[in-house]
Amino acid sequence: MSTFAGIPAAFFPAFLAGMRVNFEIAGIALLLGIAGGMLLAAARYWGSVAGMAAGLAVGLMRAAPTFVVMFFLLNATPPGIVSPVMIVALSLVPYAAAYVADGGLDALRAFHAGSHLAAFLILPNIARAFFVLVMSSSAGAAIGVHEGIAIILQQAQKMPSTGGTLMLFAIGIVCFGIPLQTGFVAVRLLHRQLSRIAEHDPRRTLSAATGLSR
Amino acid sequence: MPHRAAAFIALCLVLVAPGVARAESSPDGALARLLGDARAAAAKPQACAHSGNDRLVGILCSGRIRVGVRDEYPLFGTHAAGTWRGYEIDVARAIAQRLGVTAEFTKVKPATRIPMLAEGSIDAVIATMGDNTQRESQVRFIRPHYYQSETVVVGPRDLAIEAQTVRGKTVCVNIGNGSNAELVSQGARLMLFDDAAALPDRLNDQTCTLAAQDDSFFASYFDEPPFAGRFAEKFGFAQVPWGIGVAHERTARLAAALGLISQIFHRDGVFLAAARANRIGTDFLLRQQKVWAQPECDTANGSADPNCVLPAANVDLAPTPFAERVAAFEATIARLTGVEFTLPMLKSAPAWSLFVGGIVNSLLLIAGALLATLVFALLFGAAMASRWRSLRWTARGVTAALQSSPILLTLVITASISRAIFSYSALVGLGAAIFALGLTNGANAGQAIAEAYWTLQKERGAAASDRRDLFMRALSRSATQIVAFLINAAKGTPIASFIGAPELLSALTDITSFSSGRTTTYTLLLVFYTAVVISIIGVCRRVQAVLERGRAAI
Repeated sequence: MSTFAGIPAAFFPAFLAGMRVNFEIAGIALLLGIAGGMLLAAARYWGSVAGMAAGLAVGLMRAAPTFVVMFFLLNATPPGIVSPVMIVALSLVPYAAAYVADGGLDALRAFHAGSHLAAFLILPNIARAFFVLVMSSSAGAAIGVHEGIAIILQQAQKMPSTGGTLMLFAIGIVCFGIPLQTGFVAVRLLHRQLSRIAEHDPRRTLSAATGLSR
Repeated sequence: MPHRAAAFIALCLVLVAPGVARAESSPDGALARLLGDARAAAAKPQACAHSGNDRLVGILCSGRIRVGVRDEYPLFGTHAAGTWRGYEIDVARAIAQRLGVTAEFTKVKPATRIPMLAEGSIDAVIATMGDNTQRESQVRFIRPHYYQSETVVVGPRDLAIEAQTVRGKTVCVNIGNGSNAELVSQGARLMLFDDAAALPDRLNDQTCTLAAQDDSFFASYFDEPPFAGRFAEKFGFAQVPWGIGVAHERTARLAAALGLISQIFHRDGVFLAAARANRIGTDFLLRQQKVWAQPECDTANGSADPNCVLPAANVDLAPTPFAERVAAFEATIARLTGVEFTLPMLKSAPAWSLFVGGIVNSLLLIAGALLATLVFALLFGAAMASRWRSLRWTARGVTAALQSSPILLTLVITASISRAIFSYSALVGLGAAIFALGLTNGANAGQAIAEAYWTLQKERGAAASDRRDLFMRALSRSATQIVAFLINAAKGTPIASFIGAPELLSALTDITSFSSGRTTTYTLLLVFYTAVVISIIGVCRRVQAVLERGRAAI
């Protein structure tokens, strides 16, 4: 049974289930990234040898390509110990942790400078990172994870016409685009709101001095 | 009268002699003599207690032949509810019957079958073991071979694919399969699995569209109507003859006896009947029956005749000129650290070639992606800063679409369009990846340039009349974002392996599919890409500093 352009009706629930996997992966990666990133941020904030080591670690994590990290984890971990979904999530952790570590450092500086509201500006940045992670989790298709893009690519191989295949890809872009663009709009609104509140904070000059206003 | 009798005897001798001679030189006669001699040796007092006997004498002494067989290989060797079944089980029983002993089965695995032979816990192995040049030093293979497998590529029934069109397609394989190198040479992209048993499941759940494994492995799956209804063998390659294996030591007589029995079994259709009884492929056995029925092969020495017997599959990879030094280095590291450290990409010529090609292509890909990002950034920046509203909105629409598409999808779309325009090649794969990475990151960087442009125009008001000057200032102002997207483009390059671009990740995946050392290989890959990205970050930061100094000067 087809809906349009030769795409079977069974594709849509499968695709939505696949997209749910993308969100799960992003959620796991972000939680682990927040845990690791905040520790690194704290180490950097309090300086000394641990701070230097944390800075070095963040630099390395920022430079490590997610796709290569994913293949490294896939091949370096004993088979059957870590699921493919978890491997994708873990491969995104260096990016998430480095991102949170950078934002967390700014937040800690703002917090200690007395601008508590400015410190909360890390929240929209974390939300933005979540949506970036959702998009990046599509890398899982390369190792056989049944996420949204993998479902699209499986269906694409069965499409009888190029037009149908392009329609399928367009559906993928729209379905990923809606939550992403909505999320970014929400993040911008949240950021604007927090910035506005922070501007009325009598201690905002302190937060500005830390460079948080970037 | 005595003359008549003598003439009659002479005539009889003349008539019977060729038949006797043929019987003497036939494999049956040779086997009878060999077994007779061995039985005589076994019957001597204390002979069976002698540890230096040929294994054949030992088998006759004990009245049993201990055969290593597979216990979980459907149609070939299975053990369930105390019953052994399968083609190899039937072959072992037929051999035992011919020797006049009973067959005693011991389960073996690919990893244990050769060590068990060497330590003497089994007399022979009949366990899906391919006769190849690498194993010849470890096992004495019995020829003629009792079966031949080939690697088959299996896929959905409605998918049209053949050896010539597999280039660029993803094929699921298990690591260590000797035929992987051949698939790589045909341009297929490999998805690796640790265990072959995962392949049918991955075909069923559509993780894999195509999977490659021995036809003997898939035989039991094609025996099941649901699987056979969905999938079919697309093409086969890399034929490997299977041989009964015995140890090298004290097996001269045993090997000779098993060789003669194999000849007879081919000629008389014993192997063929066993194959039919177990519903496995019979093409090879039918061909072999014809070969061994020929008078020139049906002799006691037929198994030594290269015109009759198949050679071992040649799986030796040509070593690199420095392979020995690499091996010595690996041994030193292992001795000093206790850690297994292998560098397969440096030891065989095909792996080295893939490795060097991968590095060169990766660097080209990174350079191309950086350049494309810069070019698209300028184009999108100019379009979104244009005075023409239609151009601005078109550029914004394309940027929004690119931002909404995961990079993997953008890459696949670009590759699909490239393949529709050009015939597939490594260069097309690299070009498509450069285009996709440049377009995605360039559009984002272009948006940053345009935002800086409009901000500057707002700040300067009427003073901002020179659009070119304003654009240059916008470039300086958005330097941080441009650099961020350049770094992002460089970091994204390994993803090009997904569409078959022959960069380093793709090359190393291919190398590890037919050699050992996965952990070392992927660690080196991670180090390589991280080092390259760190270098690019360093260079980009300098460029950014130059741009920002320019802004300060303005």
